[in-house]
Amino acid sequence: MNRPGAVVIVGESIAGLTAARELRRRGYAGSLTMIGREPEGAYARPPLSKEVLREATYEAHLAYPHADLDLAYIRSAAVGLDASSRIVSTADGRFVPYDALLIATGADARRLARTAQAGELVLRTLADARLIRRRIERARSAIVVGAGFLGLEVASACVAQGVEVTVVDSEPPLLRHLGPFVSERVGAHLTRHGVRLIQAAEHVHLVGDPVTGVALSDGSTQSADLVITCAGDVPAVAWLSGTGLADSVGVAIDERCSTSIPGVYAAGDVAYLIPGTGERASRAPFWSNAVAQGKVAAASILGEPRPHPPRDDYFWTEILGLPVKVVGPLPVNGDPTSIEGDVDAGDAVLRWESPGANPTVVAYGRKVPVGRLRRALVRAAP
Amino acid sequence: MKIQVHYDRCEGHGLCAEQAPDLFSLDDDAELIYHAEGAEVGSEELVRARAAIASCPVAALREIP
Repeated sequence: MNRPGAVVIVGESIAGLTAARELRRRGYAGSLTMIGREPEGAYARPPLSKEVLREATYEAHLAYPHADLDLAYIRSAAVGLDASSRIVSTADGRFVPYDALLIATGADARRLARTAQAGELVLRTLADARLIRRRIERARSAIVVGAGFLGLEVASACVAQGVEVTVVDSEPPLLRHLGPFVSERVGAHLTRHGVRLIQAAEHVHLVGDPVTGVALSDGSTQSADLVITCAGDVPAVAWLSGTGLADSVGVAIDERCSTSIPGVYAAGDVAYLIPGTGERASRAPFWSNAVAQGKVAAASILGEPRPHPPRDDYFWTEILGLPVKVVGPLPVNGDPTSIEGDVDAGDAVLRWESPGANPTVVAYGRKVPVGRLRRALVRAAP
Repeated sequence: MKIQVHYDRCEGHGLCAEQAPDLFSLDDDAELIYHAEGAEVGSEELVRARAAIASCPVAALREIP
């Protein structure tokens, strides 16, 4: 087996760390360097928009252990890649050579503020979550821009702390991913808990410097003590400029997590799988995909067969006490093809099946272990 | 150290079982089973036990002294 002499992972993320662990688990004993810009090292991000916004003590549970992995750490951002010489350069002036490189730099929050407009709040890092938590503690009102999963989790945290919340989006909550059936019910659930939903005709603009509110396209303005942008993310690819590895979607990877350059792999939120004929290129920036791709990338780096496909269509969220787990492809359209349980009571399993496609199963408020949901999916497959 | 399992938080992701298969497994119904309930984790299992605790995306596992 032709194993690389030096592996460099850029991005101290769940994708990067999963790959590091998988490399060691597969017996790779060579040099393994982790380059990351997080000053405190790798930590779990899913709780940042959930528990961390409510209790500071939860931060103690975020760190990923890695002492057993024998990693060399460079806690500085990667700023450049010379793929022909196989060298990564870092913000603190280092040049790090590699035989195999894994790009796992994830994504950054998409921002709406104009250049030099101060005070926009986003949620992506632990530092972001800490800042928002402190601001929620002092706020009486909040505007959340974006009615996707992140926006609704942030709105939930605000409600839990007695903050009046307005959620603004050009689409109804979660419509883009979960379709009208779930969207309507989630909307009603939010309204019952006092959340004000505003559907803007077009995209909104942040007003004030520092930001104090949003302007809607009808000319009206909404303001609040706290304005948080939850408008999706953009792949962290600035450091790859000039390499041809990244396009406007992200870093394209194949089924082995290989990029267009030999010896360079990518995994997690930064990457997207090259679409099949007729499919649209898009990233699927979910935690379970990052884990699956981290493992596949590690196997590929070692020249071994991949253990499973580089995708895992699963994620979970919690909206004002309503846990929602989703297994299977998105978006779903129209009404579910089957409903088990009581949707309005928040205790149901919804299923969308269509001929020739993998089904999608949603546990809506009902506590179902993920493994069982996955099996339900297998059983339902044609 | 001991591990406290918050079964009400557990979503059955199963990553702990992957990190520390001697301590955790999922039953046929995908529910978590912790094999050292109430017992001290042995020194030879410590690294794997901590990896399991940290791998949990919903922090259902807590280390207690």
